[in-house]
Amino acid sequence: MMCDFLKTCCADPMKLIGEWFVILPAVILLLAAAASVVMRNLIHAALLLTLSFIALGVVFIALGAEFVGFVQLLVYVGAVAMVIVFAILLTKPDQLTKSRNMLSGFAPAAGVAVAFASLAALLGFIFSSPLAKKPLPATASAPVAAIGEALMGDYVIALIVLGILLTAALVGAAVIAMEDKP
Amino acid sequence: MISSLERVPIDLLHWFLGLVGSFGVPAWILAIVSALIIIGTIIGVFLGLFALTSVMERKILARVQNRYGPNRAGPFGLFQPIADGIKMITKEDLVPRTADWIVHLLAPVVMMVPALMVLAIIPYGRDMVPVELDAGILYFFAVGAGTEVAVFMAGWGSNNKYSVLGAMRAIAQMISYELPLVISAIVTAMIAGSLSPSAIVAAQGGGGFVPQWFILTPWGFTAGLIFYICALAESNRSPFDLPEGESELVAGHLTEYSGFKYATFFMAEYVGMFAICGMFVTLFLGGWQAPLPFLDIVPSWCWFFGKVCFVAFTMIWVRATLPRLRIDHLLAFAWKFLLPMSFAAFLSAACWHYAGRGPLAWILSLAIVGIPYLILGNAFTNRFAVSRRTYLFSE
Amino acid sequence: MTLQILLAISAILFAFGLAAALSRSNAIMILIGIELMLGAANLNFIAFWRFSDNPADLAGILFVIFSIGVAAAEAAVGLAIIILVHRRIRSVEVDDASNLKG
Repeated sequence: MMCDFLKTCCADPMKLIGEWFVILPAVILLLAAAASVVMRNLIHAALLLTLSFIALGVVFIALGAEFVGFVQLLVYVGAVAMVIVFAILLTKPDQLTKSRNMLSGFAPAAGVAVAFASLAALLGFIFSSPLAKKPLPATASAPVAAIGEALMGDYVIALIVLGILLTAALVGAAVIAMEDKP
Repeated sequence: MISSLERVPIDLLHWFLGLVGSFGVPAWILAIVSALIIIGTIIGVFLGLFALTSVMERKILARVQNRYGPNRAGPFGLFQPIADGIKMITKEDLVPRTADWIVHLLAPVVMMVPALMVLAIIPYGRDMVPVELDAGILYFFAVGAGTEVAVFMAGWGSNNKYSVLGAMRAIAQMISYELPLVISAIVTAMIAGSLSPSAIVAAQGGGGFVPQWFILTPWGFTAGLIFYICALAESNRSPFDLPEGESELVAGHLTEYSGFKYATFFMAEYVGMFAICGMFVTLFLGGWQAPLPFLDIVPSWCWFFGKVCFVAFTMIWVRATLPRLRIDHLLAFAWKFLLPMSFAAFLSAACWHYAGRGPLAWILSLAIVGIPYLILGNAFTNRFAVSRRTYLFSE
Repeated sequence: MTLQILLAISAILFAFGLAAALSRSNAIMILIGIELMLGAANLNFIAFWRFSDNPADLAGILFVIFSIGVAAAEAAVGLAIIILVHRRIRSVEVDDASNLKG
């Protein structure tokens, strides 16, 4: 499989660049996520999470879903990552650089084992399924006008419910985190 | 009546590509060369504008304050950027010993990259968009969100309580002002029917006696003014420069930066200012279009850069004129005034469109924008009214 | 490039998120793990949309848009709760929030 991939890529350099446009950000995504979950320093973990969000956004753009990629960058990198960083700074663990890394007892090992088992099961299903062996279709485009029409047409109820949910979350988060006035 | 100067940049590019192509290179190398030339030209133009603005700002501020600006370094002080550049490059690059040096080093890079990437979707002239994106406005705001990460990295990487505090204030300011900014941009996208900047510029064309620019409509004026104010806040410029004012937390998140890294932050801030001025011109001032049809003799890219320079001049003028806002005033202004006004502009634009864009529509949209303005304005000014002073410990 | 590669990447990302959520003791790290799991699910949806026979059916893309919105809301509320709990017990470790332990 790898040899065919390399052969087709070297024959046509633009296709090579097109394929690598997805693989390279995906590799950065996995490396940044792996580094983020093992870091001791919370701020470094949050910044590596931001890098993995950026890489995921680039993967979305490379796969043709540009609107979703830009929304991912705008919402996750611009908002969620900043909220995580603010929460880290506001809760300020006593020693920011040396937080307790893992749970006590054998719980961390059990957690990693469960994650590994689920990964093995998922990979088994993925590589044994005939449905997943599809090659890449030529192009898939999602023009913004079509997304807008779908949002306001078939999916308008979901859009309105999302708006209500976000308003409730906004008000709720503000009320929860507000300091009690004396 | 399009003059022959109009196509000069595009014709130059095609001539050069023809020259390179005559050596028999494959098509994909030509595409890369074309992209590199366009990127190089845009970066060159904007860095040149940055250099010119850094001295013009000081001179304009000085003239407003009844003094000369820098006038020693060349004729009228115009070689001052060269002197500043040499100073910045030769300064010692200090990194505090306990600082996180990776984060401290990467912060200027993460600040500069979005500021330059954002220049890719702005239409500089007729058919002169570097990248024609379907969702250009969304790209602009998505990439602009990277600036907030850079500000936090700068504040955190300095290992300095005041830097962290300054960074948190700067991020709070940027996030608060991003909402009215995006909503007022979406107002124009709604009327134009597309998120692509070229389509929004095209939707402002065709006026005869009076240009059909969006800023000349009630909702467009409100949305444009909100966009302008939020642009000032996003670039951390006065009157919203609390994060980096000298009399506040020293230089806020930039305290521990010296030499070339400081110059990079400075450059990123000015390039960001020009980028957002360019977006303001595209969305509200009609982009590269001339106001009246017979003025088409002047090339479209000249009109674009003229408008951008005018808007930048007004930003410098505002800096010279208005005092700085305090952090709680700043955040209250964003959340309690600008955000409801941007919703009012949104509603007003929708009513203007559906009432047929005739005289009735103009009156209706003016009312929908004007009444919240009067109510919110009154509510706002009464909060900060100076009350009678009460003495606690004396008679 | 087959669908398998993208699904495998998404599965590995999900496993990283699951490991972080199950084995870290800091509440914010657990939240980071949850965000990684949500990102992996989004990548799955976009991969299936890209390889589908009918890309004009935008259900995958719209699901991801809603998922990103919901994830943002959940991160905001979760971090507000973490800040409130920190104010009471002065710690963000989940081991320390054990008042109801018998």
